[in-house]
Amino acid sequence: MGMTCRIINKRRHMGLQQLSSFAEMGRTFLGPVKASKFITDEESNESVFIGSPVRLLESLDLTSAVGQLLNEVLQAQHSTYRTGINTLLFFVGAWSSAAEECLHLGIPISVIVSVMSEGLNSCTEVVVSLQVPIHNQIDHIDNTNTSSGLEAFCVNLHPFLQIPSDTGLIQKEQEPKDVSQSVTIYSLSRKPVKLCKSFRPQAKVEVYKNTSQTLIHSPLADSSSRKSILIHSRHFNSTENNPLINKPDGFLEQPSTAPSKTYSCNDLSELAIGLSHGDHSSMNLVEAAVRLQYRNAGMQQDGGTMPFMFDISRIFTCCLPGVPETLTCVCPGYITLVSISNITLIKELQNQPVRVVLIQGDLTENYRHLGFNKSANIKTVFENLKVNQYSAEELWASHILQLLIQFNVHLVLAQGRVSEHLIEKCLCSKRLVIGSVNGNVMQAFAEATGAIQVTYVTQVNEDCVGHGVYVSFWRSIPLEVTEKKNKIVISLKTEGVNLVTAVLTGPVTAQMQTKEDRFWTCAYRLYYALKEQKLFLGGGAVEFLCLSHLQTIEEQSLKKGNHVCSGWLHNSSSWLASSLTLYRPTVLKCLANGWLKYLSTLMYNTAKYSSEFEATTFIQHHLQNAMDSGSPSSYILNEYSELISGLFNSDISNKLEQIPKVYDIVTPKIEAWRRALDLVLLVLQTDSEIVTGHGHTHVNAQESEGFLSF
Amino acid sequence: MSRFEAKKPSVCESEPLTCERVRATLGVLKGIVTSCYGPSGRLKQLHNGVGGHVRTTSQSSALLHSLAVTHPVLKLLTASMQNHVSCVSDCGLFMAILCCNLVENVQGVDVTPTTVIELNKLLVNLCTSYLKSEACGCRIPVDFSSTQILLGLVRSILISKPACMLTRMEVDHMSTLVLRAFLLTIPEKAKEHIILGRSIIVPLKGQRVMDSTVLPGMLIEMPEAQLMRVLPVKKSSALKVALFCVSLSGDFSDTGEGTLAVSDGVCLESAVLDQLLNLGRQLVRDHVDIVMCQKVIHPSLKQFLSTHHVVAIDRVGAARMEPLSKMTGTQPIGSLGSISPRSYGSVKDLCYAEFGSKHFFHLLPDEVTVSSLLLCNRNDTAWDELKLTCQKALHVLQLTIKEPFVLLGGGCTETHLAAYIRHKILNEPGSVLIRDDGRTQTELQLIAEAFCRALESLAGCLEHDGGDILTDMKYGHCWSVQSDSPPVANWPDLLSRCGCGLHSSQEQLSWSFLRNTHDPFVLQSCLPPEAGNSANNLTLDCYTAKLNGLQLAVETANLILDLAYVIEDKN
Repeated sequence: MGMTCRIINKRRHMGLQQLSSFAEMGRTFLGPVKASKFITDEESNESVFIGSPVRLLESLDLTSAVGQLLNEVLQAQHSTYRTGINTLLFFVGAWSSAAEECLHLGIPISVIVSVMSEGLNSCTEVVVSLQVPIHNQIDHIDNTNTSSGLEAFCVNLHPFLQIPSDTGLIQKEQEPKDVSQSVTIYSLSRKPVKLCKSFRPQAKVEVYKNTSQTLIHSPLADSSSRKSILIHSRHFNSTENNPLINKPDGFLEQPSTAPSKTYSCNDLSELAIGLSHGDHSSMNLVEAAVRLQYRNAGMQQDGGTMPFMFDISRIFTCCLPGVPETLTCVCPGYITLVSISNITLIKELQNQPVRVVLIQGDLTENYRHLGFNKSANIKTVFENLKVNQYSAEELWASHILQLLIQFNVHLVLAQGRVSEHLIEKCLCSKRLVIGSVNGNVMQAFAEATGAIQVTYVTQVNEDCVGHGVYVSFWRSIPLEVTEKKNKIVISLKTEGVNLVTAVLTGPVTAQMQTKEDRFWTCAYRLYYALKEQKLFLGGGAVEFLCLSHLQTIEEQSLKKGNHVCSGWLHNSSSWLASSLTLYRPTVLKCLANGWLKYLSTLMYNTAKYSSEFEATTFIQHHLQNAMDSGSPSSYILNEYSELISGLFNSDISNKLEQIPKVYDIVTPKIEAWRRALDLVLLVLQTDSEIVTGHGHTHVNAQESEGFLSF
Repeated sequence: MSRFEAKKPSVCESEPLTCERVRATLGVLKGIVTSCYGPSGRLKQLHNGVGGHVRTTSQSSALLHSLAVTHPVLKLLTASMQNHVSCVSDCGLFMAILCCNLVENVQGVDVTPTTVIELNKLLVNLCTSYLKSEACGCRIPVDFSSTQILLGLVRSILISKPACMLTRMEVDHMSTLVLRAFLLTIPEKAKEHIILGRSIIVPLKGQRVMDSTVLPGMLIEMPEAQLMRVLPVKKSSALKVALFCVSLSGDFSDTGEGTLAVSDGVCLESAVLDQLLNLGRQLVRDHVDIVMCQKVIHPSLKQFLSTHHVVAIDRVGAARMEPLSKMTGTQPIGSLGSISPRSYGSVKDLCYAEFGSKHFFHLLPDEVTVSSLLLCNRNDTAWDELKLTCQKALHVLQLTIKEPFVLLGGGCTETHLAAYIRHKILNEPGSVLIRDDGRTQTELQLIAEAFCRALESLAGCLEHDGGDILTDMKYGHCWSVQSDSPPVANWPDLLSRCGCGLHSSQEQLSWSFLRNTHDPFVLQSCLPPEAGNSANNLTLDCYTAKLNGLQLAVETANLILDLAYVIEDKN
């Protein structure tokens, strides 16, 4: 009995059902206002605080085949693009129920597969019309805006201060079960975050408000009754005083003095605001990081001809839980935590250039490079009876120390672990050893200091030693905060090093990971935008166009019959090719429903609409308008430009000097759709599971009729 | 003290095929392979049930790894399948289904197994000699002056594997790439014997399929930290290469069972390192530009080489060794002792390439017979499937060079062959039954019918959405139609093209349902001359693979039918 074979396709498609139930979990993550979740382990009572699908899946036990595939797809998107995971998860859910609906209607699987796949293809071709090349941005900025982006940010923030309390409450309403044990953390931790994130929902809501003459709800009316809750919050001040502007020791220049008139920076500001998707605090950090990197590059090249490229591999984060939020900032160089025992050493090393050695692996006695096999069968024979009083590690450490002294090295960065013994020994002779350093940090220091990375200290020669690194304390953090963890924060810098560290602080430890994740989400969004040199008009415009486009081809295929989409099937000689006419409109409708669901969920999540139904009605009204206008894409563009020129109807928008556009990144978004549909179609076409090996003896009674075995 | 246990008696099972359990399991296996067959075949999720990697596939070679069968009858079948797939890659499912059909179809027939076997052999010979003859109406000679047929062949293979998740555009892109990768392996200067080079698939997961590409020469992934290393000065002449198959990581040689006693104060590691550095000095003295190693190079040796402007590339991997050695003309070096100058080879150029997030060394040989197919797909499971499919397509192209024919796909070859046999048996039974060895005409007709049904139901297996299969009475091709069509319908309007795409329904044909019995007819066996030109839109099958599959299926079926006893040692 080596294996079993489970038939999936009995009456209802189990795989698709599993997919949609998995995807359901990620529903609340969609949109700028994310409802976070607590995952509690019933046995250990440990709980994790999560705000993204990737973290969600990390904490879930996904042993079923479909769960595994879903996890694999999400991880693939995450590792390639680091963004679009929410979208991906949502569409997996939406389209798996769409596919299931088609199955119920008796549509052959091959037809569902080819129509859905080609329908999505057609959409991705159409949405090109909503692409914005980034160089055009420069013109827009030049005409409309001479102030820097950071100022714009400050202006825009004020009208939205009411929103956070609203969203915070909604979140509690949605998840009453989660609150029980953790109320304190919850209410404290969420509010400041929400505060900063309030921008996008507003901007987004405006899009729809603007296009609608019939359904206008003032968000103020909904939220004003609750605003008092937060106005007096102490966290309020921390965000209002933009931490980036109030840098005491001048790591960052004041935004007004930043070179705001050069195109690139203006460009960047609008880009950053448009891509922040409501998460302004994170995006501001990212923007500041890019500016720092840009300045660095400028200094290095002396106005050279190489165009500036945002190099995300040289951006790092350093999380300091327990430190007041006001200290969040970006700094040039490498910021890291070291043991508090180094405090006197650092005081001595301060203000003088030190020489550095970069070690690629661990720095321990028994570490050997990858691929080295230690032979076990070697015995050492002692010829004289004198017992060595020193251990092997002792001898090794003194040898290493001698080498460091010989080359006058006072700083060692190692990618792996470092022997405690060696650290102590080095401490005594005024040498700092830091382990677990990121490979890209090593690379950056290698470039800037001229050091060559080596695997063993014994390899070090004069050529391998880098010089000119400055070690210092990272500003004055109240000692009582840091002492608790026995760590101090230090900064490593050197002339022209292409390294920027974002220091993320916050009073709540549980929130740190979410903070870091959100920083990276924003960073990658900006990175891809700059890399691709193009953007989508955001705020649901792209999805809306897909929706209307599918409706267009659906109507066309109803009218014109088979000729519109001939060749949609791989195998055109099959009878299915001729039956396409019959089924295509239905399948396209189901596919389009995915986008409809996406938009309505997005709008519902932003708290503008009290029900998804209401949101759906609103979208459908506009869909009709767009269809009637004859050209959906120009309808969207027209409405959008109205939005930009400030023709707002609601009260809140009149207070704004400018409304920035909302943008989306192109390839990661389209890829997320494609990956979602690919997964759904892959599962749809699967009719059985073949389970090999053992450990599957318990067979669910309900499914047992579908089990076959050899 | 050892314990003795009484030996269990062996179990003997007679006439295994009459056993209900055997037939049921054979039926399950047939169900699995049948449901996978063709472009609209259903996929299978293969996994271990405890959270291991999930493989989604419909390919015989991937299925075989997971099909752990126990009964000897099934083992016989899977072994044959395995054998077939490893020889010719393609048509594994075809072979398995045909074999199951052949066994199944003679179950109720009142003919002795020996006779069945004898007649099956006659029939398969009839098929193969027809397929090999000039008069064959379902094979197209390959015209190497155009890419049409070869592209069509690759396309058909890619389309037949739905788990690759390719769109039409991606299928076109990948077919071109696979063909180009293959063409690069053909040496430019033709000698008496052409030795084809190799095409190596380089993984780049997570990217879009359209980002896949083909490069001449070889790509070897480079560790990030090596980017900084000093690069050699561009030389106008070729670069000298040394290739090591022995590890240069500084390991000690394996002592086996014994123990090595070393006196205190002797450091073996540094002794080995000294030896490595000596080797390095010799390489530098011999003006080697690139040192490559199948395994790991000691970091100190790497450092030494790089200070002398020698590029060190390690962890090349066993799979690349043979093509590398051929491409560069090196003799892989297997010892740390002195190196014979004859071991060195050369490459024309060494470049650096970046794809996705990966960095590569790109080695360009003097004469390109090695190509690298950089393969992208969105997720692991689809990438695995695409890789297997591309490997299959590359193999099929090699086979096609050897025997320059392709067969019509989409079930047309099968129905055509069946029509040919039926006609032959009815009209020229004498030419089939040569010797008078006791086989009667009736027996021949019974078995021939079973044989033809087995072939025809293969065409039916392409249908997974409840369609029906028709055959035309002129070419014997296969046509698919919706299942609830009226028995006498306006066929030319209902049908569009035959399975392979060669004929259109507007050609004044007459049709009959495959499941109905119909009178044998004279096949129009000549292919239209334009067949080769429209090959891009045709569904084509590999000639060698299908022929081999046909023969092997009949042989295996005969073996299974011949099984009288299964004796199992239960100890």
